[in-house]
Amino acid sequence: MRIPLLIVAAIIWPFLSTAALAQQAANPLPQAEASPDDIEGGKMFATTCGFCHQEGGRHAGRGPKLSKSERSDEYLIERIKKGKVGAMPAYGSVFSDGQIIAILAYIRGLDD
Amino acid sequence: MIFYGRSVVGCAALAVAALVTVSPARAQNPAALNAEAAMNDWPTYHGTYKSYHYSGLDQINAGNVKNLEVAWMHFPERATRGLQSTPLALDGVLYYSGSYSRVYALDGATGKTIWAYAPELDEELVAKQTHSPYNRGIAIGGGNLYVGTVDGRLIALDLKSGKPVWDTKLLDSKKVTVGFTGAPLVVKDMVIIGAQGGEWTGRGPIFGVDGKTGQKKWEFFTVAGTEEAMKTWGGDSWRTGGGGGWMPGTYDPETNSVWWGTANPAPLYDWSGADWKKSGPRPGDNLHTTSVIALDPDTGKLKFYHQELPHDAWDFDSSVGEFVMIERGGKKLVVHANKSGYIFVYDRSNAKVENVWPLVKNINFVKSIDPKTGELIGRRDLVEGKVDPPLCPAIAGGISWNSGAYSPKNGLFYRIGQEWCMEMTVEKTTPITEPMAQLNLGATFKIVAPPDGPARGHLSARDPVTGAKKWEVNYKQPPLASVLATAGNLVFVPDAEGIVHAYNADTGEELWSRNNGMGHNAGIISYMAGGKQYVAVPAGWGSLVADEFVALYGEPFKSMSKNTGALIVYALRQ
Repeated sequence: MRIPLLIVAAIIWPFLSTAALAQQAANPLPQAEASPDDIEGGKMFATTCGFCHQEGGRHAGRGPKLSKSERSDEYLIERIKKGKVGAMPAYGSVFSDGQIIAILAYIRGLDD
Repeated sequence: MIFYGRSVVGCAALAVAALVTVSPARAQNPAALNAEAAMNDWPTYHGTYKSYHYSGLDQINAGNVKNLEVAWMHFPERATRGLQSTPLALDGVLYYSGSYSRVYALDGATGKTIWAYAPELDEELVAKQTHSPYNRGIAIGGGNLYVGTVDGRLIALDLKSGKPVWDTKLLDSKKVTVGFTGAPLVVKDMVIIGAQGGEWTGRGPIFGVDGKTGQKKWEFFTVAGTEEAMKTWGGDSWRTGGGGGWMPGTYDPETNSVWWGTANPAPLYDWSGADWKKSGPRPGDNLHTTSVIALDPDTGKLKFYHQELPHDAWDFDSSVGEFVMIERGGKKLVVHANKSGYIFVYDRSNAKVENVWPLVKNINFVKSIDPKTGELIGRRDLVEGKVDPPLCPAIAGGISWNSGAYSPKNGLFYRIGQEWCMEMTVEKTTPITEPMAQLNLGATFKIVAPPDGPARGHLSARDPVTGAKKWEVNYKQPPLASVLATAGNLVFVPDAEGIVHAYNADTGEELWSRNNGMGHNAGIISYMAGGKQYVAVPAGWGSLVADEFVALYGEPFKSMSKNTGALIVYALRQ
């Protein structure tokens, strides 16, 4: 099920951290109805995003470094969804809104 | 220095045969295709079926190369990710492709446009693709020019007019995400092309298509394509896929066999460790991924194969690498470079391993490879968690996808090698078994310098069978373009910073260089037009390996455009 992005983001964002995500894997938010895989942002990152954003996003590679990014949440979500031709694929039809938020949460939880 | 007189005589004889059979509106000339040297024309991706990337022309030679200067240039439209293709030349006309499968036919002497073609592609799909929208080459045969597209089509254009003759959808790219970026290969009346895909759930098909009608004649699944192969994927794990034949192979007319290389299986990395035959996301050998395969061009049936890396757990494709057809001591051999940095030498009749030798120094995914059997000795199978010490070579390979060159004149094989390693953490992910626009990696990683020095590249001139090194040139960054050898005793190397170098083929001494202004990611050729020899070099930066250079080396790559390109053609000053 697709998640109303802005609503979920507004509700869960202040609480999301790597630790919080682990806890939510056992107790997913009712309104998200996400599977455990959906909120394993780190695993999704290792499956797909790490091809370009190296060291789990901590280091630039084919794509830029993402840890401590100064880009806004809206910018990152938009970029994940729409991509950039010749640089990054568009994942808007691949990942659900909940998964994109989980990836964003993973990125925001990264140390350098 | 080693000379092979027989090869020189044979080369000259075939060259004469090629010259006397030229006719203005011909199809491909079998003698030219089967020759050791490309002469007036550059008729197929690897130069000729022998795959030497060698021009028999010698107007431009070690004595006068200092007088080489730009004759003309051509600028393609929408050069997203630069230029990555190898041009072809036929009857004084140069043909090449750019991103979005745009094709240009140009007067080989002046650069004047004869025709241009731009297919309409599924742009929404292109936006979802990782390995896109570049195109790496074309094929010519039967009066047509053939080009693949990233949205899964093979298109035939009339060679004279550039008008479409047929347009066949071969892959449901919306479903499998991948399409075609590699050049097709024409064999008799058949056009053969392999799909992209090592990180994807597709079955890496290689297709045989009737060149006249565009009708699909056969399709070979590189993933579990035979009964034997299906048994090498535990359970339903063949659904994780991979194995794309994403670069063109070649044809051996003596055995009527098409040689092709296949990509790694997905996910790239798995966590099964030493238990890989029974556990992990894809238990077993995973045939026919990371293999060289010989197909019957008429039927697509598998004739024989060698899996270079059984259960490839490191993303070291066999798709990269030309198939250099040589003879040595009465034996007919084929030399093939694997992404791992090892060079495999096979008996051409059955793919039996004759020798294996390392081109690069920094290799630790195995302790060695048995040179007599090809067996991997001391495999380093990965388990979940941090990989320590870092894996060598890195994901970009000890060898990249562009081709080396072989000179039948001096018997030397010229190949670019890459020295780098990779810090990585293997993650136990959920295997992707249904097609979707999502890569399937199984790890996070970072390219780092190898233990013996900085991340770097080198061109070495070697005996292709034994690997014995005659000379070597080192580069701060690995060149990512193909290499060209010529009968003028020259070796051309277009490098990453934008310089194209010409070396003495026997000694490695640099004789000439020019700055093309942007990095090279494509194939360099030589041809004749109006009785004059030209060297054509596509410039334009932006392959996926090139993308790594910003983090590794900073400038000039940080500021180098990835959305521009130029075909730069050199000739001797009048």
